[in-house]
Amino acid sequence: MKRTFPLGIVLVTGLLGVVPFFVPHPIVQQADDIIRNKLLRIISMFALILGLGSLIRHNIEKIRRKNEHWPYSYILFGSLVITAIIGVGGGIDGAGRLPTVVGGFRFDIQTLYANIVVPLGGTMFALLAFFMSSAAYRAFRVHTLTAALLLISAFVVMLGMVPLGDFLGLRFSEIGQWILTVPNTASKRGIMIGVALGVIATSLKIILGVERKWLGGER
Amino acid sequence: MKWLEVFLTIDRRIIFAVVGFVLVLPIIFPFGFRTPVTPPTQKLYDAVEAIPARDKALTISVDYAPQTEPELHPMTIALLRHAFSRRKYVLILALYVQGLGLAEDALRTVVGEFNERATSPADSILYGRDYVFLGWQPPPVIPILGMGTSIRGVFPRDYYGNETDTLAMMKEIDSYSDMDLLVSISGGTPPVWYVAYAQSRFGIKVGAGITAVSVADFFPYLETGQFSGMLAGIKGAAEYEELVARNLGLEDRRKAMEGMSSQAAAHIAIMAFVILGNIGYFAKRKRRP
Repeated sequence: MKRTFPLGIVLVTGLLGVVPFFVPHPIVQQADDIIRNKLLRIISMFALILGLGSLIRHNIEKIRRKNEHWPYSYILFGSLVITAIIGVGGGIDGAGRLPTVVGGFRFDIQTLYANIVVPLGGTMFALLAFFMSSAAYRAFRVHTLTAALLLISAFVVMLGMVPLGDFLGLRFSEIGQWILTVPNTASKRGIMIGVALGVIATSLKIILGVERKWLGGER
Repeated sequence: MKWLEVFLTIDRRIIFAVVGFVLVLPIIFPFGFRTPVTPPTQKLYDAVEAIPARDKALTISVDYAPQTEPELHPMTIALLRHAFSRRKYVLILALYVQGLGLAEDALRTVVGEFNERATSPADSILYGRDYVFLGWQPPPVIPILGMGTSIRGVFPRDYYGNETDTLAMMKEIDSYSDMDLLVSISGGTPPVWYVAYAQSRFGIKVGAGITAVSVADFFPYLETGQFSGMLAGIKGAAEYEELVARNLGLEDRRKAMEGMSSQAAAHIAIMAFVILGNIGYFAKRKRRP
């Protein structure tokens, strides 16, 4: 029963996910509508609660055991509580019951997001430019003919992605477009078709119960 | 020449310092190159132009997070400027919760620009009449598939808590059949989800705004016509800004164009380091075959 029941759920829900794409009958479409708009929403809300609970439990455990970087868990709890109170009580732009302006200082959820989360996120991602530069310098060596071809293509596409190539009258933009449109698309298409066939085969194996590794061990 | 081998061991702190310098300098002293418009950008611009005004809607799905904001946010802003100046209906939503604040920011920026110039309610951009912010509804498959049958069913309330069916615009727009184009702006795969689930089943035209690193992955969709147009990285955003400024006469701030100078300088710096590394490599190989 422990194995048959989950396999039955996967079979039914898997088929219900596929069938509405091929059967336009109103009964099938209505059933699909109920599954998507009601059932799936309820399940996703549970997933959100589960995720939040898991995050809290993990960080409580981290503090209790004094694992590496445990003081940051206090920052997480502080941020979580403060943003939740401001978000729920203050509304999107301070229109809620909780006052979110003191003097000229605003701290509504949109102001916090735009002035803390956005710059922090942008800064983290910007570091990539530095690491990519260092990695490119170390990795791009013309050992072979294929490495040389890769390097030349990369340079042309890089110059095509900035206006400098065209400014110098070298039409890198057009050549870069051609590389992306013709050789890149040809190879990507082959890979994508292969991946899609693999995904279909694996999905069918899971739906039909042939592939059962996702169920876990034999216990 | 043994001295050339020094290029093989450039300290990474030097690389970081040079890249930092070339990124910051053009922000202070921009080069101001003009960007030629590439076909994928032109296609998206034409697709937005072709939307019947006050009849069908342009939907913008803000599917990016703050990490990719500098590259993708100018696309949302440029699209909004284009749509509002042509008086198209605009629907905006987010598949990820992080997109909500960014969508709100883009709307405030562009609506503020238009309403500052407006002289009467008729030429203002008004919420509910000209645009609606639907908000966020997890998981992504719910809005992607659900909007095929009823937007009001998926989003009974908008981002600001209004009942969706009380908004004037939403009396005319209730499913993909009332939209002419949906543009997903994302640092990941949401544009492909819209193709796989919404376009294949409901026939909606899909456009994409994507980061430069993922350009190669998305070109096949453009070539097959599954994407009606595509903005590729900050260059795509700068090209769209150029089209909007040139054709519509809007001279508002162009953040992507400002970023192009930094990107150009960084690309040249990276290429210079790669060339230097290879000079060192060949010098060493020549000495010790």
